Amino acid sequence: MAGLEELAVIVDEAQRAARAIPQLTKDHPDLSVSDAYAIQALSVARRIARGEKRIGIKMGLTSRAKMIQVGVEEAAWGRLTDAMLLEEGGVLKKSAFVHPRLEPEIVFLLKKRLSGKVSALEAMAAVEAVAPAMEVIDSRYENFKFALPDVVADNTSSSGLVIGAWRSPEIDVSNLGMVLSVNGRPKEIGSSAAILGHPLRSLVAAARMSAEWGEALEPGHIVMAGGATAAHPASVGETVSLEVQNLGCVSINVEA
Amino acid sequence: MTDSIRTAADRLWRAAESKEPCKPVRDLIGDLEIEAAYKVQEINTARRLQSGRRLVGRKTGLTAKTVQSQLGVEQPDYGMLFDDMDMPLGSEISAAAVMQPKVEAEIAFIMGDDLDDERLTAADVTASVAYAVAAIEIVGSRVRDWDIRIHDTIADNASSGVFVLGDAPRRLSEIDLRLCGMVMERRGEPVSVGAGVACLGSPLTACLWLAKVMARVGRPLSKGDIVLTGALGPMASVEAGDAVTARINGLGSVTAFFTD
Repeated sequence: MAGLEELAVIVDEAQRAARAIPQLTKDHPDLSVSDAYAIQALSVARRIARGEKRIGIKMGLTSRAKMIQVGVEEAAWGRLTDAMLLEEGGVLKKSAFVHPRLEPEIVFLLKKRLSGKVSALEAMAAVEAVAPAMEVIDSRYENFKFALPDVVADNTSSSGLVIGAWRSPEIDVSNLGMVLSVNGRPKEIGSSAAILGHPLRSLVAAARMSAEWGEALEPGHIVMAGGATAAHPASVGETVSLEVQNLGCVSINVEA
Repeated sequence: MTDSIRTAADRLWRAAESKEPCKPVRDLIGDLEIEAAYKVQEINTARRLQSGRRLVGRKTGLTAKTVQSQLGVEQPDYGMLFDDMDMPLGSEISAAAVMQPKVEAEIAFIMGDDLDDERLTAADVTASVAYAVAAIEIVGSRVRDWDIRIHDTIADNASSGVFVLGDAPRRLSEIDLRLCGMVMERRGEPVSVGAGVACLGSPLTACLWLAKVMARVGRPLSKGDIVLTGALGPMASVEAGDAVTARINGLGSVTAFFTD
């Protein structure tokens, strides 16, 4: 098997060049999820070495439908950097991605450290603010097809973030209506309850899962809780917006 | 009245009485206008009323764009609600009695006024809703294996079964009809999620459509009527033993229990 470092270079280069690659598991069918997290860490380390800053983590595969689709029992997580931030109300340059999709999410901003096994109460007490957000997910694999080790190695498809205005953590985020609209018309409709039944569970899982890799959620970090509906494939010329009950709106314009 | 309409009504009526699902009725009325399917429904509505049932409300169905396109239509449909379809909170619902039950989470309106003029506006309907409650509609089909197309479901009273109304009534000014989140859980797993906007853009729009049609066809909405406005998310299957809870943000929750 090629070294993990070598595979990390492959996924990192695919991301930089916005070029689709074959699934890693095609040539390396024995690649484990554990190997995949190591590849992810190595590839993100390359980004950090280029000057990017870590800003938090994202949770993926947080809905029952997605877990069944990928054939897993547990969520996955990825690392976020400041280079992924897009200006709210600004432009998503489609050519900078392979095949970007937009996903409606809830994002937490932390004011306290969370690491390892934490209770829902501890997780809640660590939240400084909540905001509506869209994640640009962009699998570097051909046709957006992957097995679990592939997607984990590919930093769980994270590639962009659009974050709205921060709101009080007092807002109950358990069951907020979420509407993703394209050019003003509703395209995907759901509820924040689709995120592991309650987005706070995603935060608890984020603390536990990242700790397994020696990481902690630090004050100032953000945690993207996971998609609440199917992701929308972005097309040039579209304005994609997300409205979340009690949290407000975010939007982005897709250009070539 | 053509014979085929009468025959279709008889087929569905016998299925409902015997609890033995029947063939679809589109072989009889499928080539006719949609109105023919409503005529079939009306025959059985009259039968139910003659048998002593009371008309207590209406439902709108096919209120999701995705469901409309599956059935190849561009508008909702409607069905009649009778007193014996109202399942009190906490009661056990017989899955067999409903016939092939499935569940949908909805917002129900209780009307505070008569709406007997079809020249209605959204403002009229807004002013006429006394209150909203969370509801679970347990739809069923007299047609074997839910093998339905548009004529079949309309003829079959819009696949109505029974319903459970929540007990946290709210005025419209207290809730967000469009953005309220909905989650329906079965055995602790979310089996359906959605929001108010999934129902024709707003449950109020569904109610307006219904109120106009009801005034036109001579069964206008009256004070006290229950309106099941339409699903806020995909329908889910249920079986005996299940407890299904729907939570609608601002309207509390409602649970339906199922037995054999």
